[in-house]
Amino acid sequence: METIKKYLEEKGLDDSQIKDFLETHSKEIKQFIDELLEKQLPKPDEDVPYSEVIKEEVQTSEITTTEENPTQIEENQKMQATDNQQQTDMPKVFDSGVQPDKEKAKNDALAFQIKNKQITFLNGKVNQPYEIDFDFETLEMPEIAEVSFEKLEDIGLLYFPEEKKIKGTPTQAGDHKIEMKFKRNDWEEGKPLLTREVVFIINPDPRVLWSKNIPTPEDIEYYKPDSDKIFVKVESKKNMVAASQRGRSHAIEGKPRDDDFALYYDEQTEWYVMVVADGAGSAKYSRKGSQIACQKALEICKAKLLDNKDVFDKNREQENRNEIGKILQGIIGSAVFEAYKAIEQEAQEKNTPTKDYATTLLLTLCKKFDYGWFVGAWWVGDGGIGIYRQDPQYMKVLGEPDGGEFAGQTRFLTMPEIIQNELYTRIRFDVVEDFTALILMTDGITDPKFETDANLNRIEKWNELWADLDGKNEDNIKVDFTDNNEQSADQLLKWLDFWSKGNHDDRTIAILF
Amino acid sequence: MARRLPVYLVLDTSGSMMGEPIAAVETGVQTLVSALRQDPYALETAYLSIITFDSNAKQIVPLTELTAFQMPSISANGLTSLGDALKLLANKIDSEVAKTTAEVKGDWKPLVFIMTDGGPTDDWKKGLAEFQKRKTGMVVACAAGQGADTNVLKQITECVVQLDTADSSTIKAFFKWVSASVSTGSQKVDSGNEVVGIGELPPPPPEVNIVV
Repeated sequence: METIKKYLEEKGLDDSQIKDFLETHSKEIKQFIDELLEKQLPKPDEDVPYSEVIKEEVQTSEITTTEENPTQIEENQKMQATDNQQQTDMPKVFDSGVQPDKEKAKNDALAFQIKNKQITFLNGKVNQPYEIDFDFETLEMPEIAEVSFEKLEDIGLLYFPEEKKIKGTPTQAGDHKIEMKFKRNDWEEGKPLLTREVVFIINPDPRVLWSKNIPTPEDIEYYKPDSDKIFVKVESKKNMVAASQRGRSHAIEGKPRDDDFALYYDEQTEWYVMVVADGAGSAKYSRKGSQIACQKALEICKAKLLDNKDVFDKNREQENRNEIGKILQGIIGSAVFEAYKAIEQEAQEKNTPTKDYATTLLLTLCKKFDYGWFVGAWWVGDGGIGIYRQDPQYMKVLGEPDGGEFAGQTRFLTMPEIIQNELYTRIRFDVVEDFTALILMTDGITDPKFETDANLNRIEKWNELWADLDGKNEDNIKVDFTDNNEQSADQLLKWLDFWSKGNHDDRTIAILF
Repeated sequence: MARRLPVYLVLDTSGSMMGEPIAAVETGVQTLVSALRQDPYALETAYLSIITFDSNAKQIVPLTELTAFQMPSISANGLTSLGDALKLLANKIDSEVAKTTAEVKGDWKPLVFIMTDGGPTDDWKKGLAEFQKRKTGMVVACAAGQGADTNVLKQITECVVQLDTADSSTIKAFFKWVSASVSTGSQKVDSGNEVVGIGELPPPPPEVNIVV
C-alpha cells in the first residue's frame, strides 16, 4: 500500500486525492488482485516454478502496484530474490534428491493458502463437554489429504477424523494456540508437514472465578460477620426465620456485608416485627446504616407496641380495624423516622454525610386478630415485601419497588425527601384470613428470583420461589418450614448460596411462616 | 438473567491505519477480550460489538457475549467515514440494546470507545446528530497519533484521549486501558452504579493523554 501511495504522490496527488483514488478504484484493484492470484496459485499436480510462487507471499495490496509501477515490482522481485537466496541457504528439511526447488515451491504455495484460510473454532468452557463438527474438506484444499492438531489433548480435546468431530472436556481456560498440521496427499514418510497456528478459546468457569472467599478483616470500622441467621420460635404459633449472606462480589474482595435484618416477637402483645435493610454498595458506611436502621426500627416498634397493649387487647373485633390501623400508622411512622434520625446522628458524630450510611428499609408488623391477620408494612428502596398463600392462591406485594427507568437508581431511607414527604404514603396494610408466608427480601434475592418489578406481582413467581425454598433447585437445598424447625435458619442460610449468573449481591431474607 | 453491559468498539480501518496500526488494533482487541474473560464481573455482564469504518461503516461483530466472542481479522483501506460509523452505532444501539421497562429488565447504558487516526471524510455532523439522540453511558474517543482531529472528537464526547503515536506498543497500552475501563464499568454496574465521567475510569497509562 505504501508503494502505491508513494507512486501516486510522485504523480502529484495530495493525500485526499490519493484516498479518493484508492476508494474509487478499490473494485478494480481487488479484481486485479483476484486475477493475479488466479493465475499464480498453483494447480494441484502442476509444476510451479519457485520464482512465481514466491510472489504469493507478497502482501496482496502490493501486488496491485504492478499495474501502475513496473519499476517498483522489479525492486520487489529483487527483494524476493534476496529472500529466496536466504531461504535456500537454510538447511533443507526434506528428503534429498528429487527436485527440492519444485517441492519447496509447492509447499510454499500451499503454506500461503493455509495461512490465509479463516479457520476458527467455537469457544469452549472449562469442565464442560465440548463437541463441534470439523471437516477439513470444507477448507477446500484438494492438495491436503489429512490434518492433525499438535497437543490438542493437552487442553482436553481430541480430533476424530472419521467422525469429523473435535470432542472432549476442556481442562484449562485461556486462548490456546494450537499447531495445526496439514499432510499433502502425496506425502511420504520423512517429508515435512505444513503447519499453522489456530486458536481454541476456552472460557473460565465463572463459578471458579467467583469462588474466592476472603473473610472481612475484623479490624475494619463497623465490622459485622459475613453471614447471620436467626430462628424465632413462638410456641403453637407461626415462627420466624431470617438469614443474611455476604454476596460473592464482596467475598472475592474481602469487603463486608452491607445487608442486615432484625426479628422480634412481642410475647405480651403478640405482634411479630420483621426488618430487613440493604446498605447501598456505593456508600462507605452503609453496613452500619442498614444495621442502625434495623435495630432502631425494631427498638421503637417494641416500645410503642407495649405502650398500646391495652388498645390491642380491647380491639379484637372486625369493626375496630380502623383503630388498629391508626395506631400502627403511628408506630411505623415513628419507627422509620427514628431509624432515620439515629443514622443522621451517627453520621454527625462521625462528621460525615448521612448519605455515607445510605440504606433501604423494609419493615413489617403482623398480628393475628379474631378476624384474621393484620399486616402493616413500610418499604423504601429495592427488594420486596409480600404476603403469600399457597392454597387457596393469594399474593399481595406490600409496596412498590423503587426501581425507576435506570437500574440501580433506588431510593434510600437516608434521603431527606423520603422522611419529609413519603413517611406515611409508603405505609401499606392488609388483612388476611391466613397465609403461608410473609416474606421480606433484599434485591440480592428479588433480582435473580423475580428479575423484573412487574414479576413481583405475579403469583407464579411466588409459587416458584416457594417451591425453590422447598428444594426445587439445582443444588436440592431445602428449607423445612414445618413448625418449630430450629434447623430452618441454617437451611435458609445454605439456600442463600444459590447460583445465578450475574447476581452476586448480598442476600437477605426474613420469613414469617 | 442479569443486565447486560453493552460495549461498542468503533474502530478506524481507513487506509492510513494500514500496517503496524491495524495489526496492533486487532491484537489489542484480542488481548482485551482475553483479559476481560478473566474478570468475573465482565465475563458475566459485558457484551462486545465491533464496528469498523473506512469508506463505509460495518458492524463486523454484532453485540456478542464475551464467552462467544471471536475477533475476525481486519484490514485497512479507504476513507474515514466517521459520520457513517456514528449513524450505524446509533442504529445498532436501537436494535441491540434493551430498554428497561416494568416488564423487561433492560441493559445498562452502553459504553462506547471510538478510535480514529485521521479527520472524517464524510458528513460527520449528520451522523453525530443521530448518535446524540441515543442514551449512552461513557463515550471515550481516542485520537490515535497526531493526524487525528481532536476538535471533531471533542464534539462527540467530553472524554477524548490522544495517543502520541499510532505504534503498536501505544495502541496496545490503549486497549489495555479500555479493558481495565470495561472491568471497572462492569464492576460498577454490579453494585448498581454506572460510569459517567472519565474520572471514574482507571487512570490511563502515560502513552494515553487526556485531551482537555
